[in-house]
Amino acid sequence: MMKKGWDEFEIGAMLRTFDGKIDDIAGTLQEDRAYSENSSFVASVADWRINKPIFNKDFCIDCQFCWVYCPDISIISRDKKMIGIDMDHCKGCGICVEVCPTNPKSLLMFPEKSDEETELATWPAKNKETK
Amino acid sequence: MSEIKKVKNLKEFSTSADRFEGANLLCPGCAHSIIVREVLNATNNDLILSASTGCLEVCTAVYPYTSWDASWIHIGFENGSTAVAGAETMYKALKKKGRLKQPEREPKFVSFAGDGASYDIGFQWISGCMERGHNIMHVVLDNEVYANTGGQRSSSTPIGSSATTSPAGRVSYGEKKNKKDMIAIMAAHQIPYAAQVAPNKWKDMVKKIQHGMAVDGPVFINAISPCTTEWKFDPKDTMHIADLATDSLVFPLYEIIDNHELNITYRPKNVIPVEEYLAAQGRFKHLFKDEYKYLIKEWQERVDEKWAYLNRREEARV
Repeated sequence: MMKKGWDEFEIGAMLRTFDGKIDDIAGTLQEDRAYSENSSFVASVADWRINKPIFNKDFCIDCQFCWVYCPDISIISRDKKMIGIDMDHCKGCGICVEVCPTNPKSLLMFPEKSDEETELATWPAKNKETK
Repeated sequence: MSEIKKVKNLKEFSTSADRFEGANLLCPGCAHSIIVREVLNATNNDLILSASTGCLEVCTAVYPYTSWDASWIHIGFENGSTAVAGAETMYKALKKKGRLKQPEREPKFVSFAGDGASYDIGFQWISGCMERGHNIMHVVLDNEVYANTGGQRSSSTPIGSSATTSPAGRVSYGEKKNKKDMIAIMAAHQIPYAAQVAPNKWKDMVKKIQHGMAVDGPVFINAISPCTTEWKFDPKDTMHIADLATDSLVFPLYEIIDNHELNITYRPKNVIPVEEYLAAQGRFKHLFKDEYKYLIKEWQERVDEKWAYLNRREEARV
């Protein structure tokens, strides 16, 4: 995007998050919002990642721990179901994997270059050891 | 009085539409955004927000981007709280004169600040807000260090922590002063609500935030925010460190209502030794050398003493 220089702003200028008006922001999900080019939602930090999380929905119990503890709003939950990961905003911290309570975990970290389908096919089996 | 958002369980909570956006520049695994999300999602009301200078401010408002989906202002290091207090005063005045365009909407006023901007630099301003009785909430993201500028000690830094201005080495074990008891100071302003929260106890957090937004008057919230960079642990362990902090009673969760009713809101089933909390972080690494081991014992005694004090206060209702 074209950036305005610092000296091109008028006094009292304000960056707007949305194009147009949203009346009830707390009731409008992200896909229904018209983000402007000034919202960091349109940016990406995907190049920060060294490892990426891969989601295996077969083992997911929709507990939503990953959703509430994700620092980057990258776990997409709709209608109380975890439906996927927002790879534009995920920084690969790995908190979601740590807090995942299922056995085997339904989220695991893999190197950024690894292939999702291959990893899903060779997902680790249930760990019999009890803590 | 507007309706309080119903949050029965985590599944219900997860239907909230986030008002804080990704691609902010906070470190991977930073607890700041977890706390901010839990605070913002606790309500459906409109929000007027501010942030004092600190990690949260510099990372969420890097031109040309903003990560906030609500009115948000940043002025200086010290006056995030007064900026919101000013907005609140204007709102009250316009309401009184009947000049609000949508008087049925009741915005909530929240200011976020780090521990540097609350315990040290913004102290006087916050104290003023609390004393004047503005209807605002001040949330401290307490990472016990000036993380934004490279890890200088603040008055929230606990004893034995190695910070860049109080480094541990041959002659020193790091920070020598104990953490300021900010909750007690703020409660002494006779404010209706002051509480400590932790991001890992999300339900406790949401309950306290909702209580704080429902009461009329200034509210002070102190939230522990484990810092992967300055506390020196792996980004994936943020929640684990927060668990250790609350379960070892280093960071007890309690609330003070009107400065006389103290309630402990979380009692760990298994209290773990403070040593485990210290051992998990690089900033306390030197305490495990033989010559500084006595400090760990002192830590444990201090934490036990504080816990006993809180219990006494809870019982006595003073």
